[in-house]
Amino acid sequence: MAARTADTAPVLPRSTRALVLLGLVVFLLVVLVPFWWIANMSLKTYEQIQFATSIYVPRPLTWENYTGLWTNTRFPLWLRNSLVTAFVVTAITTVVASLGGYAVARLRFPGREPVASLILILYLVPPALLFIPLYRVLAELGATNSLTALFLAYPTFTVPFCTWLLIGFFKALPKELEEAALIDGAGRTQAFTRVLLPLAAPGIVASAIFAFTLSWNEFLYALIFIQDETSITVPVGLNLLIYGDVFHWGELMAASVITTVPVVALYVFIHRWMVEGLVAGSVKG
Amino acid sequence: MRRRASSRDTGTAALFLLPLFVLVVALIAYPFYRAIWLSFTDKLVGYPERFVGLRNYAYLIQDDTFRQVIRNSLVFTAGSVSLKILSGLAMALVLNGVWRWRNFFRGMLLLPWITSTVIIALTWRWMFDSFPGRGFFNSVLLDLGLLSRPVAFLATPEGAMLAVIIANWWRGFPFFGVSYLAGMQSIPGELYEAASVDGASAWRRFWHVTLPGLRHIIVITTLLSLIWTINDFNVVYVMTRGGPGTATQVFATYSYEVAFNQLRWGRGVTISIFLVPVLLVGIVLISRYLLREKE
Repeated sequence: MAARTADTAPVLPRSTRALVLLGLVVFLLVVLVPFWWIANMSLKTYEQIQFATSIYVPRPLTWENYTGLWTNTRFPLWLRNSLVTAFVVTAITTVVASLGGYAVARLRFPGREPVASLILILYLVPPALLFIPLYRVLAELGATNSLTALFLAYPTFTVPFCTWLLIGFFKALPKELEEAALIDGAGRTQAFTRVLLPLAAPGIVASAIFAFTLSWNEFLYALIFIQDETSITVPVGLNLLIYGDVFHWGELMAASVITTVPVVALYVFIHRWMVEGLVAGSVKG
Repeated sequence: MRRRASSRDTGTAALFLLPLFVLVVALIAYPFYRAIWLSFTDKLVGYPERFVGLRNYAYLIQDDTFRQVIRNSLVFTAGSVSLKILSGLAMALVLNGVWRWRNFFRGMLLLPWITSTVIIALTWRWMFDSFPGRGFFNSVLLDLGLLSRPVAFLATPEGAMLAVIIANWWRGFPFFGVSYLAGMQSIPGELYEAASVDGASAWRRFWHVTLPGLRHIIVITTLLSLIWTINDFNVVYVMTRGGPGTATQVFATYSYEVAFNQLRWGRGVTISIFLVPVLLVGIVLISRYLLREKE
């Protein structure tokens, strides 16, 4: 048990190691089998899927679902809509959340604690509670049936979340640099833009990636606020590839691969920060 | 001097928080107020709303379908959250024991959490498909000789509930696992050493050191997940549309069904208002935990 002190790489007894390996294999299987199912099916011909031949691996392998998806469906348009929405929402969110996060973390003003609590509470309000009245409000503004509805609706969940993240992030930055800037005669705004913003860049990038991912994957608002088939986003479009009882599984799975890859790529960048910052940080402050 | 600095801050703070407040008031608080108001009306799409007092609430309390929705939501939430806690603990213990490439494996196991729920739900729907050999489970079970004929999981009430619970669990458990792992790594090693010196077995160390050390994080992840899961729309809508019959209809999908298919907006809103008390309790508990920690 002396090995316990070697904190980073504890030498475990052989039986424990075997158990850990077994557990790891089980968890990897549980997580990866559905992803393999998606990739596998996206590379099969219509006949292979329909008649359930070569279930576990595509034989022969084909790209026809990808080309079919691109030429025979409106997927490229949905992809464009999803991208535009995600970028606009990310931009709005980043501006609003950095300003708010900085104010709550660093400025002294009456009512700071209630504002912090309010942001946390808003983060916990589920979209399922607001979708009907929000639809009415957006309809009255004439914003439904276009991407504008999503530009307005998505910040209702991305902003509280990202502000909450950034409060923690701004609080963790050293106070001295900002104080030095203030003593040198800079105003709060200047200290914010010249000193704190560059320091906070990693946190802001991470929160922007979260905002992007949340918008990219959102389904409920997109389903309700937009009926026009040229303005829908990918998650809603995927459901349109199901006509009644006919499932275009090959194309659906190809679309799933194309939609998942960018998010995974983004997330590889922030994985370390996300795990240590989001999970531990947001939970422990 | 100090007062001047703080009053200057107040002006800046008001300016910096203005966009946030506009957003909150216009797109969260005002719609919420409208939701409360709508729940007291018999608003049908295309007709003006009429005040009916508590009639929507009274109707729903009597409504057999709504009672089933409550039962379904409880089964769905309790089932998937308890699975997430247990498998999250197992995942954290496994990752904590991994001696090489831990970050890599942690990243792999987090994949479900960043994937679109719609894609996850579509995939699981297909994996549970009953077409001979087409769905994953039927293919594997038939090939292993454990089944003689395919099972239509999604066509039976129990099977459909199980399927949506599993899909929701699969998406959610990595968050639990990673949170517990972070918690485990912050438990001081001396506690384990002391326990070992006292001759505590691995199980007793887990029970008396690890679990108490994780108590705080378990409470928070559970509360968060309870709120998210009881309000889930995506998994159920995409996999079963609440069916077969109303066997998997939950709050959000039923609210959608009533508001957008039956076009009864007043009643549809009232369904989600029923969750507000639950939400409030969750929010109070979580805030207490998180904000106390912030100090």
